[in-house]
Amino acid sequence: MRGLGEHLAGAGLTALGPRLFAHATRQEDLPRARWQDWLASAEDGYHLLSGCCDAIIPIGLSMGGVLALLLASASPVAGAVTLSTPLHPPDRRMRPLRPVAPIVSKLRRFADKGPADFDDPAAASTHLEYPQYPIRAAAELYDLILEMRKHLVEVRCPVLVVHSRRDRSVRFSDGEALMAKLGSQDKQSLWLEHSGHVVTRDTELRAVFEAVAAFVQRLARSTR
Amino acid sequence: MSQLLPGGEPFFLPGGSTGCLLIHGFTASPQEMRRLGDHLAGEGHTVLGVRLPGHATVLTDMLRVRWTDWYAATLDGACLLSDMCARIVPVGLSLGGALALRLAAEQPVAAAVALSTPYRQPPDRRLAVLRHLTWIVRFWRKGPPDWRDPQAQAERVAYPAYPLRAIAEVDATLAAMRSTLESIRAPVLLMHSAEDDFVRPDNMGLIAGNITASRVETALVTHSNHIITCDAARQLVFKRVAEFISRHTCDAP
Repeated sequence: MRGLGEHLAGAGLTALGPRLFAHATRQEDLPRARWQDWLASAEDGYHLLSGCCDAIIPIGLSMGGVLALLLASASPVAGAVTLSTPLHPPDRRMRPLRPVAPIVSKLRRFADKGPADFDDPAAASTHLEYPQYPIRAAAELYDLILEMRKHLVEVRCPVLVVHSRRDRSVRFSDGEALMAKLGSQDKQSLWLEHSGHVVTRDTELRAVFEAVAAFVQRLARSTR
Repeated sequence: MSQLLPGGEPFFLPGGSTGCLLIHGFTASPQEMRRLGDHLAGEGHTVLGVRLPGHATVLTDMLRVRWTDWYAATLDGACLLSDMCARIVPVGLSLGGALALRLAAEQPVAAAVALSTPYRQPPDRRLAVLRHLTWIVRFWRKGPPDWRDPQAQAERVAYPAYPLRAIAEVDATLAAMRSTLESIRAPVLLMHSAEDDFVRPDNMGLIAGNITASRVETALVTHSNHIITCDAARQLVFKRVAEFISRHTCDAP
């Protein structure tokens, strides 16, 4: 999110990039996390920003977009942006596995990530992430997505949905379906052609930065 | 459907080039640092009051957190402040004080303040036994309140019980603090209530005695319980902390 944050700050906006609970430390920390911890991290960021800003716009990538929409459904935000955000759990196997996931994850804690889908190899080589998915945390992501689906119709603020047709991690159809299901009147989309899942760092990042900045500035003007 | 207890939210108060990082104590919330934060913001400082993971949500969350999560949250706060402030002063209460001292040993800070901070866990025989039985007994109710200021007691946002599993993590935090006290180079202010029945005031001397590479100031207050940022002597604490911070950061605007 750093590049996007710097672009928004360069446009005169205040940017805060929270670290979600159990991320960017050790992979072994992540199986302890529950989705409520991640939402609490997002809420922390919201409360810090409310100390210095008049209008708040959560912007989330992938699971971060799920958190942005949950925040938008419950807190007074001026708008929300989702980037590569899932509407369906990424792995169909999780549905029957979910009840036994806490036990399965004790036997097999981590699963390998598939090949990265970056269009830009330079961005792929500098991406800071855990090498594997903890199975226990994947179950939490499943629950978090279900939680978001319950509250989608309560999202009334303007929303920008960004998704790439070549996203191999969260299918493009999720972005289209999200557009259809949101309760907002004011919703717009940006569909990308070449990027992989991490649209904030891949080939079309400029288009993403500019669309997000234009969307945020339009909302900032209307709240002033 | 907010995850955070009402009143237990973290806070940010923009101000000058000195960033005060306020860190609350075990089973408490940013609420116990809020009045001190308002006072320091009134002095022209930037203030960030972090929420430690597992706190100000639901008590069972505390069973999953490790001390490294608390220290990571402290580092997060320092990192956020360093983007807009020239210098950082961590100010912690009790467990938060231990995290502030650890931060002072590992990161460049202008000064550090530790309030009501234990050198080691208070000896409690019941807890010493119960902490090995956490798979049977998960929580232990807190003792009777000992507030001098009933209003401060009414305002408090904290858990009503101790999660026994997390007590081992307090131990780990204090061990991490003790092992790095001698690396602290920044000036330190320690404050304690002489009437603190929870963490005895002699802990302050033990911490002071182990900070060998920098100058330490100590101050005792009276008419206060362990939570000296909220109880009856709080104004005295606010003034002393603010005076200490401005004395060690007065070189620049």
